[in-house]
This record gives sequence, structure tokens and C-alpha cells, in this order.
Amino acid sequence: MSEKIKLCDLSKCTGCRGCQLACKQWNQLPARQTVNTGTYQNPPDLQPNTWNIIRFQEISDDSGVDWLFRHDACMHCTDAACVKVCPSGALSHTEYGTVALDGSKCIGCKECVFACPFEVPKYDAETDKVLKCDMCYSRIDNAMEPACVKACPTDALRFGDKDEMLKVAYARAKELGGDASVYGDTFVDGTHMVYVLPRKAAIYDKLPEKPRVPLSVVAWKDWLKPLSLLAAGGVIAGSFLHYITHGPKDTSGDGDQVSKEGGE
Amino acid sequence: MKKGMIKASDGFERIVHWCMAISCLILMVSGLGMMFHSFNFLAVPVGGLKTLKLIHNFSGLVFIPSLAFAILIWWKEAGIFEFPQDLEWIMVAGGYLWHVDKVPETGKYNPGQKAFFWAVAGFGIVMIITGLVMWFPLGLPVELVRWMYPLHALGFLVIFPFFFIHLYLGTVGVPGSVSAILTGWVTRPWAEKQCPKWLKEMEEAGKLEVSK
Repeated sequence: MSEKIKLCDLSKCTGCRGCQLACKQWNQLPARQTVNTGTYQNPPDLQPNTWNIIRFQEISDDSGVDWLFRHDACMHCTDAACVKVCPSGALSHTEYGTVALDGSKCIGCKECVFACPFEVPKYDAETDKVLKCDMCYSRIDNAMEPACVKACPTDALRFGDKDEMLKVAYARAKELGGDASVYGDTFVDGTHMVYVLPRKAAIYDKLPEKPRVPLSVVAWKDWLKPLSLLAAGGVIAGSFLHYITHGPKDTSGDGDQVSKEGGE
Repeated sequence: MKKGMIKASDGFERIVHWCMAISCLILMVSGLGMMFHSFNFLAVPVGGLKTLKLIHNFSGLVFIPSLAFAILIWWKEAGIFEFPQDLEWIMVAGGYLWHVDKVPETGKYNPGQKAFFWAVAGFGIVMIITGLVMWFPLGLPVELVRWMYPLHALGFLVIFPFFFIHLYLGTVGVPGSVSAILTGWVTRPWAEKQCPKWLKEMEEAGKLEVSK
């Protein structure tokens, strides 16, 4: 199977939130009561029962006022920090390059919640599980597009083979010109959701400029884990070697005299 | 009991030691089961990783008071290095690694045991703080929580070797040691070898308990 990419061209997004709703329908995630916080962005952040949201953001600068819409969901990293830290194997890579989540294996340890550079996985206290977008694995594995892509009326969201989508993305960024750029393919060994950003990445809320697997995760999983095995194996082997070469200490009392005589 | 045995530990010390030893052992085995996918099978007997996680967390709650009492009980005897005699002992590795004609005399605990005390006391506290944050991380700063995991792993890296050497030297490595923490009584030759200075001081002070 070839790697797939969900391409998100923000220059085409109208903020209709069809993607947000389609996700809820397909994944059967009924909404919970929220409050009006003075923005269309609702709920205010990704939630255990909301796997993608449109972030609404008003900015004004020298060029005037702009209203930004950003479809926010799991980026499906190739070098995924969440997969790296998951102790139970609930989070795993699929043959499409996406990151799947097997809820039955999740033990609710929340390690992924803090490892993700995009702060995507969300913990649900009711079920003691973590939930996130799985790029509609049940759909893409049956040759369908993810629900959000299917619902998108403006083609801001597209889904296809990695190479093709990246080609489209770079062509579009070039066409847009100015600050437009492609976001995603150069981080964490490439994400499987890729943005075409009309503005500089730094402008967008909650979008890290240079996302990477946190140093703490690298220190933990790549350095300390093998080191601890080495240390543990080392002392076990060392103790055995000590016993068969140096031998146990003589605390019987008889040996004491022998050694004293030997010393004198 | 044989005559002339020497009392090396009291009942409270032994209870604290075994509360800590057993909770620590459960913590290490269950922790290993979660840290490495290849050790996930350790969760099978208890019915899955979620149960293993609970066992790990609640064993931690036993470990906390055990460590607190252990520090209170042993910091005076095992927490203070005495120079230069402890340095001399370290220079010859206490006679444990190569032949030494005369090992410098130590008090109740030798510098190796003192290092063990500090490793467990220091990293035990690290394990407790990082562990509690990992248990209840929601609402805390992301960057803070992130560093708790490698610190917890570092704690294992330090504590396990000390634990295993302690286990080895407390049993087959130094015969006669186990009874010090099982019944509390040790033989006189053992005490003369393991804690000569302590033995002399106790005898001079008339505080040594000897079985009749």
C-alpha cells in the first residue's frame, strides 16, 4: 500500500465546518453542551469527542484585516512521538503512513497527550481512554476518503497518494506566491496531513513553527531505555562473574585466621 | 538460638526494609512491563496492562511511607560519609574486587552501603515526585510533565544496579547477611568482618545485645 496524504489547502477553506460535522457523524461522536466564547470556534479546542475543529482567528496588520480558518486535526507524523511513548501499542502506524489508535489497548496513561508536539490526543475521563483522529482508517482501508475530505465543499481538503498530493501542494503554494508555503512534509520525517498555508506558519494559532519529537521523549526512549537495559544486564552479569571469579566473602571466622597468618 | 549471636537490626527496621523491598520489587517488575513492549507479557498474569498500571501506582503508595521511614531510620548510620576512613575504604573497593590484606574498618555501614542509601533516598524521592506527576498530569504545564518521564527512567537506571548489587551482597555474596534482616541476629565473625568499628563502639558503650 502506498502512503496517503490528506492535503489541507487553507486558501480554499471557507470555515463552513462541514469537516467537523462529518467527522462526528462518521465516528459517532455526539456533541456535548458548550458555551459561546465569542467566536465561531466551538468547541474551543480538540476534545475526546471532537477530532477535528476549524480554528477561527482574526488578525490585523499593515496589509489590513484577515480572518483565518484552519482545519486542525491529527498530523499523522512518520516519526510520531505518540507512537514512540505508547506503552501498550494502542497507537501504531498503518500501511498508509497514518497513525491508528486501538481504543481497546489504551490504558489511559496519558503519555501521548504530553508527547505530541501538536497537542492532538485528548484524554477522556469517562472512559479512561485517549482519543484522536485516525484519518478514518475504516474508510481509507475500504478505498474511501476520510469523512472530512468527503464533506469538504471547496476542495480545501483532498486525499490521495503522497507523491501526488505533495506535487499538488507545491504547485498551489507557488501559484499563491507571497508568504504561501507547504507545511508538514519536512517535519518529523513528514506528516500525513499537509497544509498549504497562505500566510507564514508563525501567524497561525497553535501551529508550531518547527514541530519535532520533544527532546524529553528522545532522551527517554532513545537514550535512557537502552542504557537502563545495558546497566541492568551489566550488574546481573557482573555479579555472576564476581561470584565465580572473586567468590563470596568469607564471614565464617575460620578464614579470618588464615588470612591473618597469610598477611603476617 | 545459638549463644553469642549479635543483634544487628530491630523489628521496626526489618518491617520497613521489607515493605520497601517488596513494593520496590513490584514497582520494578510492573514498570518494566510498561516501559518495554517486549516485556508487555508481564501484564498477562494480572489481566492486562491497565491492571499492571494500577498495581504499579498503588505499590508506589506503599513505597512512599516506606522510603520516608527508611530515610529516618538509616540516615545517621548510612547517610553520613566519614573521611578519611571512608575514602580509604573506597580506594580498595572494600576488598570486594581484588585481594586486600587489610580492609579499613567501617562502622555499621560501609561506604558502598552509604552510596546505596543515597541512591535510593535521592532517586526514590525523584521517583515519587515524577511518578505522582505522571499519575495526575492533567492541568500541569506540558513541558514540565514531559520531563517527568525521562527522569523516572533515569531513576530506574540508577536504582536497579544498586538494588541488584544489594541483593547479591546481601545474600550469596556475603554469606550470613540475610539473617541480619530476617531475624535480626548475626554471628560474631560476620559482625567483625562487616561492621568492626560499630561492634567495638557498641561493646565499649555496653549497648551490644548478645544472645545467651
